[in-house]
Amino acid sequence: MEQLTPDMILVMVMIGIAIFLFIVEWVRVDVVAILMMVCLPLLHLVTPKEAFVGLSSNAVVSIIAVIIIGAGLDKTGMINKLVKPVLAVAGTSTSRIIVAISFTVAIISSFMQNIGAAALFLPAIQRISKVQKIPLSRLLMPVGFSAILGGTITLVGCSPLILLNDLLLPFHLEPFGLFDVTPIGLALVASGILCFIFLGKFILPQGNTSENQDNPQTCVSPYEQGAEGQCTYELSTADDFMDYRDIVRVGDLHRRYLVNILALTEPPDVKTLSPSPDTEIRSGVDLVVWGDKKNVERMAAEEEMQVKAAIECYDKEFDTAHSGIVEAVISPRSPFTGRSLGKNNFNDRFRVTPLSVHRQEDVFLARLDDIILQTGDVISFYGTWKRLEALHQEGGLLFSLPSDLEDMRPEKALWAGGWLALSLLMIMGFDIQLSVALMTGALGMVLTKVLSIDEAYQSVDWRTIFLLAGLIPLGIATQKTGTAAWIANSILHIIGNVQPIVLLTVIGILSTLFTLVISNVGATVLLVPLVVNMALAAHTDPRMAALVVGLATSNSFVLPTHQVNALYMGPGRYRTIDFLRAGSLVSILFLVVMITMIYLFYGV
Amino acid sequence: MAIITISRGSYSMGKAVAEKVAEKLEYCILSRDLLINASASFHIPQKKLEKAIHDAPGVFEQYSHTKEVYLAYIRSTLTEMVAGGNIVYHGLAGHLLLNRLPHVLKVRITANLESRIARKMKEGFSEHKARTMIIEDDGQRTKWTQKIYHADPNDSSLYDMVICIDKLSIEDAVSFICQSASKKTFESTSDRIRQAKDLSLACKAKASMIESFPEVGITCEYGNLLVYASEKEAHMAKFKKILDAFQKENVGIHNLEVHTGLPVPANAV
Repeated sequence: MEQLTPDMILVMVMIGIAIFLFIVEWVRVDVVAILMMVCLPLLHLVTPKEAFVGLSSNAVVSIIAVIIIGAGLDKTGMINKLVKPVLAVAGTSTSRIIVAISFTVAIISSFMQNIGAAALFLPAIQRISKVQKIPLSRLLMPVGFSAILGGTITLVGCSPLILLNDLLLPFHLEPFGLFDVTPIGLALVASGILCFIFLGKFILPQGNTSENQDNPQTCVSPYEQGAEGQCTYELSTADDFMDYRDIVRVGDLHRRYLVNILALTEPPDVKTLSPSPDTEIRSGVDLVVWGDKKNVERMAAEEEMQVKAAIECYDKEFDTAHSGIVEAVISPRSPFTGRSLGKNNFNDRFRVTPLSVHRQEDVFLARLDDIILQTGDVISFYGTWKRLEALHQEGGLLFSLPSDLEDMRPEKALWAGGWLALSLLMIMGFDIQLSVALMTGALGMVLTKVLSIDEAYQSVDWRTIFLLAGLIPLGIATQKTGTAAWIANSILHIIGNVQPIVLLTVIGILSTLFTLVISNVGATVLLVPLVVNMALAAHTDPRMAALVVGLATSNSFVLPTHQVNALYMGPGRYRTIDFLRAGSLVSILFLVVMITMIYLFYGV
Repeated sequence: MAIITISRGSYSMGKAVAEKVAEKLEYCILSRDLLINASASFHIPQKKLEKAIHDAPGVFEQYSHTKEVYLAYIRSTLTEMVAGGNIVYHGLAGHLLLNRLPHVLKVRITANLESRIARKMKEGFSEHKARTMIIEDDGQRTKWTQKIYHADPNDSSLYDMVICIDKLSIEDAVSFICQSASKKTFESTSDRIRQAKDLSLACKAKASMIESFPEVGITCEYGNLLVYASEKEAHMAKFKKILDAFQKENVGIHNLEVHTGLPVPANAV
């Protein structure tokens, strides 16, 4: 066996540091990647040119183009329009709806980022759940898992697969074609969906009928029961309300009784919707509140207010055509994340009232302003549709509105579809390189004004780009210094001769475990050089070994760590145990189906 | 309807002042009963509780948190006992344990050292022994307050009134205290009674959690209990179990939420 050199030791130390930082998350994963990009040339483990070669790599350019194409399709509202025909095909059967939506999401996910497809479909699924009276918890997990599985249908479906060909370059192995993985991907999607159809009863939280009302993305009408049993009530203050008590403000009532003031009359007779927390409550005025019946009654008793039998003074303002309550989900990369709800200033900026925050199984009603928002948090807002529309246009929140208020460009749908088709034709028919073909599609979308160049730039997730580009030199260093070969030989020396199918299974399990603790891109970059060397030494097809890594790094269902799972966890009211239960089964199924398909299709 | 805490050094005549104030205002008086009740409620020997509230924490305290736990039990009992108002507490640390309540009249009774030694000597101690014992006791009180509350018990800003029983008599002190207690600032309005009940509820919740989760902070406003904990703590089965049991046992809770990843606010217990 080859001698361990100081360079190999240095590379292993750098790998160790990267894995450690991925796990402890002291800095973000993309920062870890940039750290590698900078440290490796400083340690003379790669040349300066090799350190930054990732930025111009086929993988990075392809992913930029895929993101822009995805954003273009999103802008045309094409994907939302798919929902209607899909539902028409599915009918009213829950199983058929799950199959139809999951399969559609999987197909879309095969050409755009998984998280993008999942986010795009969330409002539509919420709407379907409400209309079809299917608990959201029964729909979201199958659809979310399908979005992840859909990423394995084509070579541009997920970052690890996009990266694969670049990682095979140093080994002079034949690159994979766009649809080389399609049979395996389709089998994985089908097995995932079937698993939920046949075993959904046992592995999915069933929810209940009231859960349907959890999603008032359209409107909770006056006196209709809301998310957690809250309702809207109209009250009036006594004529001597201000005579014998300290000034009472809107924020005081929320703090004391956890009720939200949705509307308030201010002297002389001005009706204010979503009043700010500093607004004083005067004598002899009407107010509309949203809250738990027991809390509203407690407030009425303690503050000597009169609860009216129905919404009287505010009947026009609280008409469903004018205002309502929506549940908005914090989207991935939302500008609202990491800041407290108070600092996001929704009330001042948009004149909407945040009512509650749902996070996993928790519901927050008290001190909402202090809550630091996270991706997947569900905020209930009250506001007029016009103000909610303004909030929607700000971006960063996923919710649907009852009317066609969204800023879509449906007239560009044909152009968007055409450019996607052209890109695919260039890849399949003319064998043009992936990055060039996809960038052509992206450029076409900009030129035909499907989206502006600024919108295209804004849509690109620079974290993913730098994560990919920064880790590529680590892969180069692992290969160039002989570290990958040394580790591979050492492992093989320990385990001895194994059957190719056994080796691939072990690689699949290893990749699955890696992707649970470090990012899928990180796992791919670290494992591909290693497994290719192992396969070469064990006389197994090295391309298949690399493919197993590329596919199995999408096998991330057991914990809600995958972006898609994290996004759907809040709206689906899932707990970690729900992911453990369903995810474990799907993960095992994934490995079995993947190895079987590789065995059957590639004859390993 | 005030709450009066009388802090005193040993042999400063504070106990006599407290008894006369309670008698004059027809308030209840509370001192040793606090530890007896805390001992009964939390099944901790009275001696241990007494040590926790009197002796300065030792070097191992930062690892064991025992004193912190016992103090939470004592505080929980005290806040519950004083919530209704009309009470004079002359036990240890009342001014600190009740520092969150706005309507507490905090009084410090002092006396010059020589007169305190003279009183101690009447119990049959030599002058040297009496001096040593009083100085040692004062030292323990100072260390305790410094370690637990990062304050100096001799700092007059901790109190509303400091009276030295020397030229002024016990009767003078009683008269001053009673006069002050009748001021509007110390009146037990319905809002203040609510605040006392809220503090009592928060302290009770803290007492139920402190042994397993010493780092949690708890606030309570209008019966809305907010627990500040780390993400890790909040997801532990034991954490949920304790809170569920607490919610079932206490009817005054209108809402209970656990907020994670946030700094514990200054008004939390």
